[in-house]
Amino acid sequence: MSAANAAPITATDSLSQALKANIIPNQEYLLQGSVLDSAVEVLLHRLRGLCDNVDAGPETFNDQEVCFSLRDPNQQAAPLMLRVRKALDVRDMPYQLRYIGQPDLGDKNRPTVVRSSLDIACNGMLLEFLNELGCRIEFEYSVKGYMFRKGRMKITVAKVFKISQSSMTPEPISQSYLVELSVLAPQGQDAIAEDMRAFADQLRPLVHLDKIDYKRLGHMSVT
Amino acid sequence: MNMNMQQREEKQLEATLQAILNKVNDLKGAIQALITKLETEHETINWPTFLDNYAILSGHLTGLSKILQAELASSLRSRIVLPLQLSCERDEALVRLTEGRVPACTHDLVPDLLRTKPEPQAEQRLQQFNHKASTLSYDTAQKQVAQFAKVVSHVWEIISKGREDWEGESMRSAAMQPTHIIGDTHALVTAVGTGKGLRPGMPALGPGPGVGATLGPRGPAPPLGPSAPALPKAPSAIKTNIKAANQIHPYQR
Repeated sequence: MSAANAAPITATDSLSQALKANIIPNQEYLLQGSVLDSAVEVLLHRLRGLCDNVDAGPETFNDQEVCFSLRDPNQQAAPLMLRVRKALDVRDMPYQLRYIGQPDLGDKNRPTVVRSSLDIACNGMLLEFLNELGCRIEFEYSVKGYMFRKGRMKITVAKVFKISQSSMTPEPISQSYLVELSVLAPQGQDAIAEDMRAFADQLRPLVHLDKIDYKRLGHMSVT
Repeated sequence: MNMNMQQREEKQLEATLQAILNKVNDLKGAIQALITKLETEHETINWPTFLDNYAILSGHLTGLSKILQAELASSLRSRIVLPLQLSCERDEALVRLTEGRVPACTHDLVPDLLRTKPEPQAEQRLQQFNHKASTLSYDTAQKQVAQFAKVVSHVWEIISKGREDWEGESMRSAAMQPTHIIGDTHALVTAVGTGKGLRPGMPALGPGPGVGATLGPRGPAPPLGPSAPALPKAPSAIKTNIKAANQIHPYQR
């Protein structure tokens, strides 16, 4: 038993300790690609051959994601983006609050995109809380698809839907499935990126998983 | 000095002769192989093999004519071969040298063997053609050339069209259909990342804000959004991420 007069260990203490030990997986290594609807069956087949969690068929998911922005009242800093995710198919799952940092593509030798990422499981009070904070809804969409695991790697193959108000059926963004290969890891674990690249190569030429800078793409399509 | 030059020239000549001899021997070997093939396998030989043999022959001939045209052979051009003596008697040495083909240096063989110009008959025909060509009017020649070009281009068209059809067919069956489009990748990534294509058409009071207003206080009860299709129970992305976080040990440094 610890001494009675020792200060109780608070959550802040353990958090700062975890930060110091660098065991918090706050970096996301990411590769993205897409596969046409017509070829998705082939890809799923290949993933079933490659991945770990395929004994009972691929795991499915159906999530809705709402992206909030919190603007700086002085209009000086860029708005802070927060994402809230909710499973549509499993009712008792918690909400997921997620912060994603700026993607860092690095140079040609870096195998994957790296961005900071923080995930927190929350209850339904979260939306009200964000509203009270002054967050504004920027956009929302739903994703429905399949999730695979290979060691620490997570592979999702999912259709992205625009949520329409008029009809009950969500409208798909494109004729392709979004394919993402990601790993959450503490800072500085770049070895996993090489593993990811090797895994991505095994999905070629079906899917080309690559580093994609959506910020630059967005600007390009505007001009 | 003079001796040196002479020696060098002689050496050069010898080397050239040796090269020509090698080429001629190659050619001879190829012809012999073809003849043997025709004699022994004339029932089973197929066209491709036969044509391959012709290709070998033509390759050797090209090599030979290259040597003869080269500068090295120039010294050969100034050489004169003068038949000094013809005889009808069998010359054993000659027979050995020619592998039994030429038994004697006779009057009817020597003109053919030492000929440097085409045969008289061939020369005559060539002259006829040259004459015909020179008397042809310019217009007629042009017309004929144009006609010929037309025929050739027509044949070329037929062949290339046939090839296109054939290649297209084999390509279609062999090549895979494209499985991904880079444009789609960009559209999806930008949509998820920045909301491009998701923003417009979303009124301020759509289901989005409604979600925030209505779902907030009630806790994690009903699912978000307008529709929640029934799907087998499966973990959401939330659960996955937590799992990934728990498995960091293998890479811990």
